[in-house]
Amino acid sequence: MFPSYLQLMIPIMSLAVNVVIQILRFRITPGRGLLKSVVEGFIGGLLYVLMIEIYIQRYLFPSPFPEFIFMTIANTIIYAACGYCYFHFINLGETARRIRVLRELYECDGALSMQEILQRYHAKEIVEKRLGRLLRNNQVMYRDGRYYTKKSVMMVIAHIIVVLKWILLGRKNVFCFIVITIFQL
Amino acid sequence: MNIIFCGVILFFIAFLCQIIIWKIHIPERQTKALVVLFFCILTIGLLSLVIISHFYTITNWPVPRTSSDYLHITLLFTSLTLAYMITYSAIEVDSPSLLIILKISDKGTQGLDRKELEETMNDALLIMPRITDLLTDKMAYLEGDQYKLTRKGKIVAKIFIIYRKILNTGKGG
Repeated sequence: MFPSYLQLMIPIMSLAVNVVIQILRFRITPGRGLLKSVVEGFIGGLLYVLMIEIYIQRYLFPSPFPEFIFMTIANTIIYAACGYCYFHFINLGETARRIRVLRELYECDGALSMQEILQRYHAKEIVEKRLGRLLRNNQVMYRDGRYYTKKSVMMVIAHIIVVLKWILLGRKNVFCFIVITIFQL
Repeated sequence: MNIIFCGVILFFIAFLCQIIIWKIHIPERQTKALVVLFFCILTIGLLSLVIISHFYTITNWPVPRTSSDYLHITLLFTSLTLAYMITYSAIEVDSPSLLIILKISDKGTQGLDRKELEETMNDALLIMPRITDLLTDKMAYLEGDQYKLTRKGKIVAKIFIIYRKILNTGKGG
């Protein structure tokens, strides 16, 4: 009974390892970027899952090999899903417009009108920051005063989201979009 | 084997149910509807598994045997559901970065001018709908022409403020 409850704790402990590594790594060397710290934290947590699984199998509670493999896969999936959620939690604080407006309202210690909100946070700032990020991460290039797309993870994500939009929300013109962008890739 | 099999199958059943329901009618508060739907499927699924494992004692069936197996399935299902819900928020609301990428991509080899981009990406498209979302999700309320935070809004804001202090980062957005 005990080993199976111990198995339940592994993805949670690995997520904690991920969070600690990410925070320490970002605080010690903030210049290397937030995204890199997230990736390094995730890899640290993943290694922790594998090491603990091997340690339990070898020294604490050996189980039949297929059971060990399936348990390791299950815990890796749980950890990866939790790591993905953590990445989005950080990303929300970094980029989400709703969170930024909430923070503006909280920090002004009272109420703001639409006009006052738009003075503090506006579309021009969003475009400025996002374009900067896209350029820094090599997802977009700037040449002769114009912006062009590049082959990038962001383009793949854009495809996946457009397809999911079509499946779930029935948005149209998805096939034209896919054909155009596949040719661009 | 039984944990992966049951957890993933239950998740796909919930996903299929969502597609069917969304084709009939898209709920107003989509995230809340997703939570209710997925956890109803989990509850029904776990109860069905208890009944199946009680009546069918065939050892080769990949059904859970112990209480920790059920907890593990719940953990797997919950983590997949949370990851999906977060991804769904990007489907529900257009991210500015994705909109920028798509607008530039639409122009192909011609490229896109900064001015053209700023004309289409305005406050009415990027900010105002998100402020309305805060009202819909009951994180803020309108008093006269002033937006004020509800208790829920204050808690969410505080969580992100504390976390960004821990990370020692700027305002974001």
